[in-house]
Amino acid sequence: MEYVMHILVMVCMYAVLAISFNLLIGFAGLFALSQAVFFAIGAYATGLAAVAGLPFPMPEILAVLIGGIVGVLIALPALRTRGDYLVIVTLALQIVVLQVILNWKSLTGGTEGVRGIPGLSFFGVALSDPSHFLIYAAIVTALVFVFAWKVGHSPFGRAMKAMRENESAAQAVGKNLLYLKVSTFAVSAALAALAGSMFARYYNYVSVDSFSINETIYILAMVIVGGIGNLWGSVIGAAVLVALPELLKFLDMPTDIADQMRLVIYGVILILVLRFRPQGILPEPRGALHDGEETASAGGNASSLVVGDGSSKGEIVVDAKGLVKRFGGITAVSGFDIEMRAGQITGLIGPNGAGKTTAFNMLTGFLQPNEGSITLRGNSLLGLKPHRIVGAGVARSFQDLRLFRNMTVLDNVLVSLPDQAGDDLGQVFLRPAKVSRQEHENLARAMEVLRFVELDGKANETVNALSYAEEKLLVIARLLATGAEVMLFDEPLSGLDPTTLAEILPVIRKLADNGKVVCIIEHNLDVIKELSDVVYFLDEGRAMAVGTPEQVMTDPELAARYFK
Amino acid sequence: MDLLLQLMMNGLVNGSHYALLGIGFGLIFATTKLVHFAYGPIYAATAYVCWYSFMQLGLPFWAAFGLCVIAAIVLGLLSYLIVYRPLQSRSDSGLVTLIASLGLYTVIENLLGVIFGTGVKSVQGIDSDVFFLGPVFVTSFQLMQIAALILVGGALALFLRFTRYGQAIMAMTDNAEMAQIVGIDTRFVALLVFAIGSAIAAVPAVLILLKDSAGTHMGFSAVFLAFLSVVVGGIGSLRGAVAGGFLIGFVESAGLWQISTDWQSSIAFIILFLMLMLRPDGLFGVKR
Repeated sequence: MEYVMHILVMVCMYAVLAISFNLLIGFAGLFALSQAVFFAIGAYATGLAAVAGLPFPMPEILAVLIGGIVGVLIALPALRTRGDYLVIVTLALQIVVLQVILNWKSLTGGTEGVRGIPGLSFFGVALSDPSHFLIYAAIVTALVFVFAWKVGHSPFGRAMKAMRENESAAQAVGKNLLYLKVSTFAVSAALAALAGSMFARYYNYVSVDSFSINETIYILAMVIVGGIGNLWGSVIGAAVLVALPELLKFLDMPTDIADQMRLVIYGVILILVLRFRPQGILPEPRGALHDGEETASAGGNASSLVVGDGSSKGEIVVDAKGLVKRFGGITAVSGFDIEMRAGQITGLIGPNGAGKTTAFNMLTGFLQPNEGSITLRGNSLLGLKPHRIVGAGVARSFQDLRLFRNMTVLDNVLVSLPDQAGDDLGQVFLRPAKVSRQEHENLARAMEVLRFVELDGKANETVNALSYAEEKLLVIARLLATGAEVMLFDEPLSGLDPTTLAEILPVIRKLADNGKVVCIIEHNLDVIKELSDVVYFLDEGRAMAVGTPEQVMTDPELAARYFK
Repeated sequence: MDLLLQLMMNGLVNGSHYALLGIGFGLIFATTKLVHFAYGPIYAATAYVCWYSFMQLGLPFWAAFGLCVIAAIVLGLLSYLIVYRPLQSRSDSGLVTLIASLGLYTVIENLLGVIFGTGVKSVQGIDSDVFFLGPVFVTSFQLMQIAALILVGGALALFLRFTRYGQAIMAMTDNAEMAQIVGIDTRFVALLVFAIGSAIAAVPAVLILLKDSAGTHMGFSAVFLAFLSVVVGGIGSLRGAVAGGFLIGFVESAGLWQISTDWQSSIAFIILFLMLMLRPDGLFGVKR
């Protein structure tokens, strides 16, 4: 019986580790290979503090705090690097931290480890055997699960997933990547450190051998097997991978061989799952669902998103002057001026490579101009991060759509709504009532936006289930949802057939009529003629001509260059 | 001064070792975009095969070396065919193949222990000579490590530049999609780089077996330093992998002048960290 209890304690500890790792790689898509480091730091911090005589729960609190701080430190390289680079940096960190633990003998005991860590006891009952410790382990695991669930299923969690799907698109709907990454690392590391403190209290002994790279791979396997982005999956993954190799005990094998066979089995299972059931045992849940009811009661206050700021028609809202952008020796934009007016649609046309998208990138903070000024109602936008510019009221779409593909249509819109208290992790826990009330309202606003582009019938589908034309509509919906007054569309209509065009054109027209400031990059001159009030013809990084569509298109020089 | 010269010699030797690892790993990485973590345990496996053929089967050393090169090629090809290729068609294949390579890493490393036992293996009967170049001493095995880099690296450079298949590899490294469009059989080229890259791993593995010994965990630091050389030098450039390997070798040695050996791999990490902060594309990287 004690043996079964011991297995269950292991399941609890690894469930906490798998949950913590799932938040990082499954939800936020930050593939860092250093989870065993946070585990180790938690175990050592708890062990050393408890040996030094600190009473429960001080060592645990210390472990969580130190774990969180180290998580923040690791987030710093993650801000600059992604993908393969993040993997190698975190792998290197794994090596360095273990080496520090091994070599800082005066503190950590070197290869000896930390011995004689006091166990836990409550109300005079010592948790010295597995069956008693299991109660504590189960309570901690349940608390961690609830906490992680709150994080993962809050607006913050939705923003994490948007970042995972596409970082630049997440910025373009106003998400602060710095905040998201740093807090995700801090939370994930703190939870893993808590698992480490369980380790220290359970074994009463900590040594560096328990936290090798194999441990990180082991936890990774649990996340993958259980299902990436699914927290119940992580619990099940931990249970399966802890329990399964125990069956080896029934074979007659020397222990060192059995240990290695166990790791071989993990590796094989990991590869088989990736090959034959990549979503894991439990697939990622769909996210917010629209059940068709609350809109009826709460609808109606969403119209602000599709109406401008009430500025008088024709007033200059965005004013950019003398924009210059150089890449090395190449000047992509050289001295571009543009004005965008309320209630008007401004068209940008010109050959490929003329600098149209580069101009958008500068207007929205994705690139910083080398020279020039950009103002929104007289306030400079220079030097602001993209998410701040979205907050100020200028948002853009991407030529290659960059939808959050593995999220639902509704979630794509929900995540883009402005001023969500739940984007702030602190508010998720300190102001839960406010967050949930807002969430209720936002659901209605999101449905309103989807109705505006007539995608409300597809709200619960994932993006993968949409047609190309529907994806284009969702791009518009997402841009609308940001609530931005100024909307920059990068080729919103390319690749659409005439019938669909006829459906989308009035949508964009309606935005301008509602007082929004609209600017579109477009190659289809019929569309430009029909939509725009003012056209800028760009070539070689400058505006060669500005005027009404008729004026620009009848300019003989431009006609020779471009219009054939 | 003598100490410094000696450390520089050690840096040259270790740098050659890292550079050779980096070339093999980097060739696979640059061409197929696969982070082949199992490169480490395959490297370790070749050392074991060499040890087993020579010490247990009593084969002549050249035959043992030949066998271990074949073993490396077979393991490399199997990794690609069984694990990586079926996963590569997926949209998120970068991450998925990376995770799979970690799984494969665990499988091969631990199978080595199951098959050969966990003890350290060393070769008896082949001894090294010691040479003195002024105040600096160097063993014949160390000289062979430097020579191996020159021979293997030189042969690979000639192959890539002057043969049809070499050109195909370069084309695929540059742009796999375009290579396919112009009629290059990218699947065959992928197999080719797995064969060549794995065979290259056998050379440093055998030299380490002769110089020190083989252990099941030797693969981790090998693949880590190979990866590091590639990242420091700049992904997609073999010249960069060599430069990265030497940079790590020399800085490690220079560090030892003042810092205890316990911290050797931390030094490599600090180089990496500075590199990524200052030059995110590596020494010879192509800006992407």
